[in-house]
Amino acid sequence: MNSDTRYIFSTGELFQKDFSIVFRKEDGNIYFPVKDTRELYCFNEVTLSTKLMQLLAKAGIVVHFFGYYENYIGTFYPKEYLLSGRLTVAQALAYGNNRLTVAKPIVCGTAKNIHFVLYHYYRHGKSDLKEFLDWLHKSVPKLVDDTGDIKQLLRIEGAIWAGFYQTFREILPESFAMNKRVKRPPDNPINALISFGNTLLYTKTITEIYHTHLNQTISFLHEPAERRFSLSLDLSEVFKPILVYRTIFDCVNNRKITVEKHFNKSLNYALLNDAGRKTFIEAFDERLNQTFEHNTLKRRISFKQAIRLDGYKLIKYILEGKKFVPFCMEDKK
Amino acid sequence: MLTGTLVNYYTHCRRQCWLFYHHINMEDNSEDVRIGRVLHELKKQDKKEIALEGIKLDKLTAEYVTEIKKSDADIPAAMAQLEYYLIVLRDKGIMRKGRLECIEKNKQNKSIHTLTLTEERMGELKKEYRSIEEFLNSDVPPPPPKIKPMCKKCAYFEYCFI
Ligand code: SF4
Repeated sequence: MNSDTRYIFSTGELFQKDFSIVFRKEDGNIYFPVKDTRELYCFNEVTLSTKLMQLLAKAGIVVHFFGYYENYIGTFYPKEYLLSGRLTVAQALAYGNNRLTVAKPIVCGTAKNIHFVLYHYYRHGKSDLKEFLDWLHKSVPKLVDDTGDIKQLLRIEGAIWAGFYQTFREILPESFAMNKRVKRPPDNPINALISFGNTLLYTKTITEIYHTHLNQTISFLHEPAERRFSLSLDLSEVFKPILVYRTIFDCVNNRKITVEKHFNKSLNYALLNDAGRKTFIEAFDERLNQTFEHNTLKRRISFKQAIRLDGYKLIKYILEGKKFVPFCMEDKK
Repeated sequence: MLTGTLVNYYTHCRRQCWLFYHHINMEDNSEDVRIGRVLHELKKQDKKEIALEGIKLDKLTAEYVTEIKKSDADIPAAMAQLEYYLIVLRDKGIMRKGRLECIEKNKQNKSIHTLTLTEERMGELKKEYRSIEEFLNSDVPPPPPKIKPMCKKCAYFEYCFI
């Protein structure tokens, strides 16, 4: 796996040795060189010292902690190394004066990327999807355009996702199709996958925003008070269909993940088990690191970089007034 | 306040100069930079530099102020920076000539360049510095030009052309 992200699944202890982070577990040590580690995930009980945290802080390594039941505990956020007073002030002003100008394109972009994902199934014979696809394509931009109010915009967004969940009956096997999206705690396999996938993407986005000057708490579509890193909720939105859901559809439809083998039976299959978690992360990471030719930069970039580039676009809107258009799978920019 | 680096960037690319001044400095993902940053943070080794009011001199001798650059990619920008040093020193009554040393020489056939300030040039430069300061206080940076060869190696490339 070509990646600067390290996942820790077993219990153990993290400490520093020379220029490496060492993970000591029952059956031996693993070394992560500092210079090519950007992000750590801890999915189990891990002990770490202040001294290691000092190293993590200095090297700008973000650490995300999860409980044993996939629940997100929090993020160790190293001290900021990219700060611009001017941008922070401008970002707050943009929230006050132009909130919808940023929020609307996020909703439209989400609809576009859902359209992209579903269109694939439509082309492969799922003709019942046509109505929803047309709605996404024709009605949503108008609805978004006409609204002058954030609450209404959020309702449109809610309708987009609800409509998307409805289509799962068409594209997923019965054991995974769902009736209702239940978030906390998830109550069935598909909700478990969605929750876990969304949280992974949320944390990845936190790391990408860390490497920009943006303030993580000032968001536009979501209320700034919603989470500690609410801007990450905003910027991850358009990537959910193409990163989280495509990974889910791929894992489920190609039987890489099955209800019997990859979910926790004693918890009524409402959570992934160890094997399921690993399989999902592997598939998700692979997609994240997949590269494509960027349409305007004329360079190959990965989806992970695309998330950071959306951060740059937001900076450019805030600082220079350039229209904010988040990542769109169709035009790959 | 102006610094030598800002004068250098102003000559090299005005957009870069504005962004840098407003602390919109980009993460550089290249491995060298990352290693450098980590080592620097961990060791905080102090380089032998002479620092006064916004200028950091690599070397100061009885005759010369010397600026050492890794490459000779943008000599005019490096010379502008050197001129700035000479003027700051002169304002303090220290008269020197300037000397630029490039460690790698790719484009030029000599690696050492020298310069002497004339009264006339000084007048011009003072005016220019005022206009740089004005420029830096403008509300928005100048838009990126068409992609130039130098952009491809610039840390701002993605930010500029996304
Ligand atoms: S990419 Fe080009 S235009 Fe942008 S800051 Fe760098 S040199 Fe200037």
